[in-house]
Amino acid sequence: MALLEVEDLHVTFRTASGPVHAVDGVSFAMAPGASLGVVGESGSGKSVTARALLRLFSITDDVQISGAVHFDGQDLLRIDERRLRAVRGGQIGMIFQDPLTSLNPLMAVGEQIAESLRLHRGVSRSEAAAEAVELLARVGIADPEQRATELPSSFSGGMRQRVMISLAIACRPRMLIADEPTTALDVTVQAEILLLLDELRRSEGMALMLITHDFGVVAATCDDVQVMYAGKLVEKASMAHLFDRANHPYTEGLLRLVPRFEDAHTGRLHPIGGQPPITGGGGSSCAFAPRCSYAVDRCLTEVPPEVAVGPQHLSACWLAADRAKDATEAGRPWRRAQ
Amino acid sequence: MSVLEVDDVVVEFDTDAGRITAVDGVSLHLDTGETLGLVGESGCGKSTLARAIMQLVPMQRGSVRLEDTDLGSLSRRELRRMRHRIQMVFQDPRGSLDPRMNVSALIGEPLRVHGIGDRAERAREVAEAMELVGLPAAVADRLPSELSGGQQQRVGIARAIVTDPAVLVCDEPVSALDVSIQAQIINVLDELRDELSLAMLFIAHDLSVVRHLSDRVAVMYLGQIVETGTASEVFGQPRHPYTHGLISSVPRADAESAARLRTARRLVLGELPSLLDPPSGCRYRTRCPYATDQCAEAEPPPEPVGPADGLHAVRCHHWRTIVSAAPEPQESATSQELAI
Ligand SMILES: Nc1ncnc2c1ncn2[C@@H]1O[C@H](COP(=O)(O)OP(=O)(O)OP(=O)(O)O)[C@@H](O)[C@H]1O
Ligand SMILES: Nc1ncnc2c1ncn2[C@@H]1O[C@H](COP(=O)(O)OP(=O)(O)O)[C@@H](O)[C@H]1O
Ligand code: SF4
Ligand code: SF4
Ligand SMILES: [Mg+2]
Ligand SMILES: [Mg+2]
Repeated sequence: MALLEVEDLHVTFRTASGPVHAVDGVSFAMAPGASLGVVGESGSGKSVTARALLRLFSITDDVQISGAVHFDGQDLLRIDERRLRAVRGGQIGMIFQDPLTSLNPLMAVGEQIAESLRLHRGVSRSEAAAEAVELLARVGIADPEQRATELPSSFSGGMRQRVMISLAIACRPRMLIADEPTTALDVTVQAEILLLLDELRRSEGMALMLITHDFGVVAATCDDVQVMYAGKLVEKASMAHLFDRANHPYTEGLLRLVPRFEDAHTGRLHPIGGQPPITGGGGSSCAFAPRCSYAVDRCLTEVPPEVAVGPQHLSACWLAADRAKDATEAGRPWRRAQ
Repeated sequence: MSVLEVDDVVVEFDTDAGRITAVDGVSLHLDTGETLGLVGESGCGKSTLARAIMQLVPMQRGSVRLEDTDLGSLSRRELRRMRHRIQMVFQDPRGSLDPRMNVSALIGEPLRVHGIGDRAERAREVAEAMELVGLPAAVADRLPSELSGGQQQRVGIARAIVTDPAVLVCDEPVSALDVSIQAQIINVLDELRDELSLAMLFIAHDLSVVRHLSDRVAVMYLGQIVETGTASEVFGQPRHPYTHGLISSVPRADAESAARLRTARRLVLGELPSLLDPPSGCRYRTRCPYATDQCAEAEPPPEPVGPADGLHAVRCHHWRTIVSAAPEPQESATSQELAI
C-alpha cells in the first residue's frame, strides 16, 4: 500500500503578468520507507510540488490547487487547517536549503527543538528538553548537552542543517521532504548530511523525497528518481535503471549538461539551448519542444502521454510513445532516430 | 614563462575575536594560456588569496609579480595602470553590476577608467567583447535588471576581458547560476582561455567543474596549499588525505555513490577548526585519520611527488605510506556507459 499517492496535482499562481502553471498534472506514489529524488532545472516546479503536498503557501500567494494528495488514508488537500498542521512537522517533516533562515536566531537550539516536541507531541517541558539533547546526538552533533544551550549563530552551516534535520525528525515522521538540503554546503559537509539522511531513512523506516538538481545526490540517497520539466514529470525510473537507460531527451540533456568528476577535460559542455517556459506548463504541446533537437510536428500539437519504456520506467515523449508500440525497443529511442 | 608569480603570501585579519591568518604562506604561478583551479572548503582563504593577488587586501608578507612587475612595489597610480592586465570575475553577477548603467556602458567602463582608446575604438572593443562572450548586440542598451542571470554573468566576463588582460581571476563565477546556465558560462570561459591565451585562476567549490576547466589545481586547507599538481595527478592520484577526502565527497551519478561518501567520511573527520586557533604542526591533523605525534609537532613542508622537477607536490609527513590506504572504488560499467 502506498504511503503517499499524488493524483493529477495542479498548482496555478495568478500573477500580475498572467497565470503561472507551476505544477501541471503531476501524479506519483511513494511506498513507506521509499526514497525518491526529484530533479529538474530551476523553475521546473519541484519546490511548488513539495509545498503543495502540505499546502505551504504564503497568504500573499494567489494560488489554486487541484487534484488529490492521499497520505495515510486522508486527502491532504481536503482536510481542515487544524488536522493539516498536525501532519506538517508531525507525520511529514520538511527541511529546506537555507538552514539559517528557518531557525529562530534568538532562541537556543535545544529550546527550539523542545518547543516543537511540546507542540506536536504534548510532552512535558523536562521530557522535551531531554529529548532535544538526544535528538542532537542522533543527528551527529558532538557535545549535545552544551550545544543545546547555544544560539544558531554559533553553529556552522553543516551543524545548522543537522539541527533542521533533528527538528524535522523530532516527531518520528513517516515521510521527510528535503528541498535542496545540501545546495548551500561544502562537499564534505554535503557528504555527511546525505549519509545522515540515508541512515535515518533506513533506521526510522521513513520515506524520503529529496529535491535537487544533482543526479549524483540522487544516486547517493535515492532508489527512485523523477525528472520534472515545466510543471510535469517527464520521466520516472529507478536510479539504477536511469544510469544507462535515460529515455527522455530532457533527462539526457540534464545528464550531459554537467561535467562529470571522473572525466578529465573532454571538450565543451553541452548546455540545453534556450530556457524553461516562465509560465510553467498548461499548453497543448510538449513543453520541451522548443529546446528539443528530436522534436517532430506532433510534439508541437499534442501533449505526449506517459508510456512505459522499461520495468517501472515511464517517459512522456512522443518518440518513446511511438517506439512503445514495438515492445522490444526500450531505452534511448532517439539514438536510432538520429 | 609565468605571467603571474605569487610568492609566500600571508594575509592576516583582525576580527572581534582575535587575529586570524586567512592566507598562510601561499606560493603559486600561472603560465600564459593556463588555468589553475583553486579548491577547498568555504572559509579556507580562496577569496582572500584572490583579493591579495588583485592587491585588494594588504599582505603581511610575500609578493605578487605580474608580467615581471612586483605589484606590491607600485604606487597607487602605477598600480591602477597595471590593473587592466589582471581582471576579476565575481560570483554574484547582479550585485557586481551598477544597476543604472546599460550593457555597453558597463562593458566600456573599464576602458574609460584606464583611458584606453578613443570613443570609436572603445565602441569597437565593447562590440568585440560582447561577441566573444556570446551577448547579442540587441542587449547593448539593456539594464542589468533586464538580463537573465546567465547574461549578467556574461557582462561580468566581458567587462573583465575588454581591457585585454593577461590574467583572469574568477572567484566562484558559476556558483550562483542554474545548471544549464552554468554549462554555458563554463564554455564561454573555456573558449576565451583558448582564444585570448588567458592565464586563469579559477576558484570554485564544485570539483567536477574545476577538473573540467583546469590544467593544474591547488587544494587549500586553513590558509595553506596542501597539494598541487596537474589536474589529472591531483584528482586522479591524490596524495594528501584531505584531497582524497574532498574527491570522495563528490556525489557521482553511479552505483557506488553512497559507498564513496562513506570513504569520504573516514578521510575527513569532524568539523573544520577555527582559524582563531589553528592546530599546531599539520593544519589537517585534527581531522586526519592518519595523524601521528609527528603531525602535531612539525609542520610538513611541501614535498615533490614523483620527479623533483615535476609539478605534483604535497604537504603531508606520511604521504608515502598512506598512498593506497583507501583505494578508489572501481569504475562501474554503467558509469562508463553514461560517458558515451
Ligand atoms: N509564490 C509564487 N507566485 C507566483 N509564481 C510562483 C510562486 N512560487 C513559484 N512560482 C513559479 O512556479 C514555477 C515553479 O517554481 P519552483 O519554485 O517550484 O521551481 P523549482 O523547480 O523548485 O526551482 P529551483 O530549482 O530554482 O528551486 C516557477 O515558474 C516560479 O516562478
Ligand atoms: N575583511 C575580512 N575581515 C576579517 N576576516 C575576513 C575578511 N575577509 C575574509 N575573512 C576571513 O578569512 C577567512 C578566509 O575567508 P575567504 O578567503 O573568504 O574564504 P573562501 O573564499 O575560501 O571561502 C575566513 O575565516 C573569513 O571569515
Ligand atoms: S515529445 Fe517531442 S519535443 Fe517533447 S521531448 Fe519528446 S521528442 Fe522532444
Ligand atoms: S601530516 Fe599527518 S595529520 Fe597531516 S595530513 Fe599527513 S598524516 Fe595527516
Ligand atoms: Mg526550488
Ligand atoms: Mg569565497
